Amino acid sequence: MNGFVERPRFSCTLGGALSTVTAIHGTVPIVHAAAGCGGNLFTAQLGGSGYYGSGYCGGLSAPGSNVSEHEIVFGGEERLAEQIRTTLEIMEGECYVVLTGCMTDIIGDDIRSAVQEFRGTGAPVAGVETGGFKGTSYKGYDLALSALFRQVVAETDERATNRVNLWGLVPGLDPFFRGDLLELQRLLALVGVQASTFFVPGEGVRDLVEAGKAAANIVVSQQHGIAAAEAFRERFGTPYLALELPIGPSASARFLRQVAEFLGLDGQLVERVIERETADYYRFVERVADFYCDTDLQHYVAVVGNATSALPYTRFLAEDLGWLPSLVVVTDNLPDEERSRIALSLDSLPHGGKPALVFETDASVIAGHLTRAWRPSGGERYQKRFAPAFVLGSTLEQEPAAAVGARHLSVSYPVFNRVIVNRGYAGFHGALHLVEDLLSTYFGGA
Amino acid sequence: MAHHTDQKVLPKREDRLRTCHAYGGTSCALVQESRGGCLVRSERSFTQVCNCQMSLALTMVTTIPDAVIIMHAPPGCGGSNVSMDLYVRNGLNARGEKKAPLIWFTSNLDEADVIAGGEEKLEATIVEADLRFRPRLIFVVSTCTPGIIGDDIDAVAGRVRSRVAATVVPLHCEGFKTRISATGYDAVYHGLARYVQLAPHDAQRLAEESSGQALLDERRKSRRVNVFNVYSIGRSDEVELARLLELIGLEARFYPNFARPEAFTELTEASLNVSICATHDDYFLTFLEERYGIPYLIDTMPIGIRNTGRWLRAVAARFGLEEQAERVIAAEEAELERALSDYRPPLAGKRVYLGGGEMRVAATAMLMHELGCEVVGFRAHHYDEFGDDLYLTAAQDRPGMEVNVATTQTFELANLIERAQPDLYLGHSGSNAWVAKLGVPTLPIFSAPQTYLGYLGVFEVARRAVRLTANRAFQEQLRRHTRQPYRESWYRNDPFAYITDGADGAGGRP
Ligand code: SF4
Repeated sequence: MNGFVERPRFSCTLGGALSTVTAIHGTVPIVHAAAGCGGNLFTAQLGGSGYYGSGYCGGLSAPGSNVSEHEIVFGGEERLAEQIRTTLEIMEGECYVVLTGCMTDIIGDDIRSAVQEFRGTGAPVAGVETGGFKGTSYKGYDLALSALFRQVVAETDERATNRVNLWGLVPGLDPFFRGDLLELQRLLALVGVQASTFFVPGEGVRDLVEAGKAAANIVVSQQHGIAAAEAFRERFGTPYLALELPIGPSASARFLRQVAEFLGLDGQLVERVIERETADYYRFVERVADFYCDTDLQHYVAVVGNATSALPYTRFLAEDLGWLPSLVVVTDNLPDEERSRIALSLDSLPHGGKPALVFETDASVIAGHLTRAWRPSGGERYQKRFAPAFVLGSTLEQEPAAAVGARHLSVSYPVFNRVIVNRGYAGFHGALHLVEDLLSTYFGGA
Repeated sequence: MAHHTDQKVLPKREDRLRTCHAYGGTSCALVQESRGGCLVRSERSFTQVCNCQMSLALTMVTTIPDAVIIMHAPPGCGGSNVSMDLYVRNGLNARGEKKAPLIWFTSNLDEADVIAGGEEKLEATIVEADLRFRPRLIFVVSTCTPGIIGDDIDAVAGRVRSRVAATVVPLHCEGFKTRISATGYDAVYHGLARYVQLAPHDAQRLAEESSGQALLDERRKSRRVNVFNVYSIGRSDEVELARLLELIGLEARFYPNFARPEAFTELTEASLNVSICATHDDYFLTFLEERYGIPYLIDTMPIGIRNTGRWLRAVAARFGLEEQAERVIAAEEAELERALSDYRPPLAGKRVYLGGGEMRVAATAMLMHELGCEVVGFRAHHYDEFGDDLYLTAAQDRPGMEVNVATTQTFELANLIERAQPDLYLGHSGSNAWVAKLGVPTLPIFSAPQTYLGYLGVFEVARRAVRLTANRAFQEQLRRHTRQPYRESWYRNDPFAYITDGADGAGGRP
């Protein structure tokens, strides 16, 4: 049983599924739920993810059956059929996806046959049950992707050796998913691999339909998107590699080597790329070193983020920037096996001692961990303080960080104190942006 | 006399008022057809998602300081609160309160709870929220799922009463129960009426004992009025209205948004309750009249020159202050007119379209006429009998003006805007970007801290309208480089083609 949460860092299954589906350009969702789910979940995405808005067919333009008491009593299948029919009539989509909410799952509407009826009439029509009580947005991401892989990706025997699909960052929940995916796509292209992410500008439904041609799938999360990778493998036999999201030169070099080994790429080319990218990275960093060193900007750090991002941030700060991680808080509800895996990979942190690791979603409890890690001093003359201190977390950590005298940057859901467009923190270029944003807090923020 | 607040659960607006959420035609025809009762069953065979009564209830309760919100729901409902946090912090700050984060919990119902019921979980959440924050009020917002599985939130509130320091206020906000999301306002008022102390201890006794007249006279002397604000009104709007009321000799206090819980016990010490927006307050003001004998005023919205004057005159008349009001209005209008002189020429003949709340859009239509613009049409989130007067008055200026009733429904909006090609759209949040993508600049009709109400509001709207129409490059570029998710054929279709008579929910209207 899941207990209550104060200020949760996710919405529901439908929320994750909806932000995933509407992130694929050309996709038209059909929300088979009570009228308010869509509006509420869009507002959660907007204020949770740096004002990441509606795009092609999200927000208040998403078609929805808006079921009411009548459907709760008599069933909603008729209304759904009507809504699919009228949606196909009026909305221009390359793919339509029916997503259900709590109400329609509780009354047990059979969406499979409703969807079946409209198959083969043109653009693909898919459907998946995503009633909010099934779990968090992360589950919605996996359910939606799995459904798309099963129902929308075209059959094919073709396998292109240099082609992969790349996912693992949840739209609307991993606030930098676009910038991060673009950077990883860039890096893979440099080593001769064409990566489809479905979610970045320039990509869309067509890339999804042709995803079966990939030789492998790469998931840059060890938790989110794994069930979808399994679904993909089940259908196409495609192997997948689940890697840590690479942030910074060290992690990015490892990432490229791991991918190269998995795909059997030309090792020399990969090493040349790593060498050049790393050199470029330091060409920039050496210029900021004057300011960094004269101001003494090394920090003790606490990272609050989801299972995908908390460790990668910590690792970059420890192994490239030379900061001292004190605390890592992983904010999604994870089963025990996943927790042990994260605990284990924390052991491989190279420098600066091992930070405390906690699994917690609840805002006040997280604030409590911060205070315990960096207890404000009692005013003695000689203080063994953890200062200067920095918190990379959600906007909810703003006050707790201030309370312990730490600087703060919003990097994880919910982010409502900054606007995020194409910024990313992954790879080589992303890490440079992260350095800029971290150091700019010295002046009150970028 | 019995009031709906005597019942555990409030009625939906469909059962209480003559409501409609799907219509396309003209202002006059809307009023006629509504009065004839033929709109109440209108539906659509194609719909887009929107906000439900839960969201609107949250726009009220999240603003109240020293209160904690508990969503009794699966984890998604109330996720919108992350977008409320900054608004609430800034709103508190503007009112001299300490900026504080918005505190809310989810009881986090899961599959097991759907089968076994979630009351125990809610109980645990309430107890913990009380322990952590020691708030004065805990609002328990019940959404669709507990509504269906039959959780009794009032019973839970009763059970925990002795174990918590806060007053627990259950709110019934199941989205699926009503098409009229403004029911959410009633839901909050229902909870306030039933669970929150609204008078000093002896006031209620007085009201019950005396003929009421003595008490009333006593209050009238105070010249204090309660003005009922709404989420869409910023602090600067309150300052403007308080300024005007003060000029005619009245003192204004604002409820319920951003009012401190303890301030509610002074609510019944006013001589008049004044609504700013009829969509918002009738449920509560009728209650306060019936229970505490406080008269109320629900008239037009103080937006634009005519309506601000009308609103002020109506308030003043209750106190015999008509002459002061006339003097104030004349002086204010003259001053405003001078200030508008630079803004009138660029606005003359500008074609505008509007969309938003029932009362606000009609009042804004009149405002835009006053500024010399041509209002091509407007859209209201819903329609009910409170609009009759205002909609007829608005139509006097232009009888053929197009009116669409729709809770957002951006597909109808896109069609209407593409036909009308207005110079400016004034719209509710959530819809503006869709209009901008059609190349039209948009003025959000509420966006604290900007002023919209009273005479200052007229000036500010004019000033913003001139600014927004002075450079529409952003919108034109958006139009060129993005597209709406509709088929080309949709723009050639009747914008109201998917509105049905609702009898069987099928088929388009001819
Ligand atoms: S939790 Fe259920 S009712 Fe609430 S938004 Fe999610 S799907 Fe809708």
